[in-house]
Amino acid sequence: MQCAEALRVQAYFDGEVDAVSALEVERHAEHCAECRSLLEHLADTRLRLRRDLEFPSAPSALRTSIGRLLDEETGQVAPGVAAPGVAAPAVAAPAVAAPSVAARARRRPRWRLRPLWLAGLGGVGAVFAAALALLIAAPWATNAVLDELVSAHVRSLMPDHLTDVVSTDRHTVKPWFAGHVDVSPVVADFADQGYRLLGGRADYFEHQRVAAVVYQHGAHFINVFAWAAAGRPLPQYTTRSGYHIACWRLGNLQYCAVSDTGWDELQGLTRLLRAAGSADTPQ
Amino acid sequence: MLPHLDAAYRFARWLCRPPSDADDIVQEAFLRAFRAFEGLRGGDVKAWLLTIVRNCHASALEQQRRRATVPLPDDYEAEGSPSPESVSAADEERRALRRLVAALPEEHREVLVLREMEDMSYREIASVTQVPIGTVMSRLARARAALRGNWLKDAAGEPSAVR
Repeated sequence: MQCAEALRVQAYFDGEVDAVSALEVERHAEHCAECRSLLEHLADTRLRLRRDLEFPSAPSALRTSIGRLLDEETGQVAPGVAAPGVAAPAVAAPAVAAPSVAARARRRPRWRLRPLWLAGLGGVGAVFAAALALLIAAPWATNAVLDELVSAHVRSLMPDHLTDVVSTDRHTVKPWFAGHVDVSPVVADFADQGYRLLGGRADYFEHQRVAAVVYQHGAHFINVFAWAAAGRPLPQYTTRSGYHIACWRLGNLQYCAVSDTGWDELQGLTRLLRAAGSADTPQ
Repeated sequence: MLPHLDAAYRFARWLCRPPSDADDIVQEAFLRAFRAFEGLRGGDVKAWLLTIVRNCHASALEQQRRRATVPLPDDYEAEGSPSPESVSAADEERRALRRLVAALPEEHREVLVLREMEDMSYREIASVTQVPIGTVMSRLARARAALRGNWLKDAAGEPSAVR
């Protein structure tokens, strides 16, 4: 009875789908009266809820009593660990509490201590997050190329951005690159293996024109970027913002494949391209 | 200003029956949050805090149930009922909407409130309610459909409530 797309339509309404899905949902809704009315209902419900329901602030009595409670809590703790902020990395510490400040704060009225807690809950969380992100991503944290790759991939999925030259024939796509980018990447159609060549596109990042070869695998698009290799090597496999990225070098070219397919599918294409590349390239 | 206190309070008001229990829940939640703070590693502080609010509510409910002394009141409008003369049609509509949201099953009500009132993403809601994103999506759909169905029924059944 309910359209099978209803959950996806809802996700679209809630801003939870990527550009490709959004486009598909919009196209679907053009033909599906049920989903069109679902979208109207969703908007209507949201409007009424946000307009008609009250959004009460916490009563000031509650605010005060929590403040008092936390003051007491702080008072119980030994001076050295007076506030959670002290345990945070050095960045937060000077702004927050030397033990003496905390000791004074305990005798002072509540408002004196509030900033401590505020800095604690807000600031330290952020610092922890930043520190953690650095620790986890340290080797590639500064590698802006990966971010650019993902951006370029996402941008390519916007309507009419995917390909500059549309062709499933590598003999059309490859020569096209010669006039539009600085490199001549491996181009091949692997339709038999499930990777259909859609075409090519010129992108610009890393201060140079970059070739992008576009493949389709099932419902997913894979962008294979290629540019003249320079600078630090990129990680062989990594994931950014949910997109998988596979990088390899062949001859003097740097290749990076970006997609939201599964790892196995992405690696499948990577293997095929490497094989085709080694057969092609004399170096 | 305590960060996210208003969000925590609003969320607790929607969870608790009666809503006046929200004060206690929020107080307890902030105390727990304060004590557990050093254990927080990155992540979204608001979602983390609301998770604690939700846990506090769950354990309070569990305690009540074990003691089995307090029957759960069904009247969410208990406090602050205005005098009949001051009730406009628009007020009446607002109160009806509030009653309808409050009447949703808790697992539906919480995702709806987090999405529509707190504007949280599916991922954040999933982390607060501790269920997979797919479950968030289906609960949200059911909550919205039920709410809409009930208010159409409400409007049809009580013509006096709408102007």
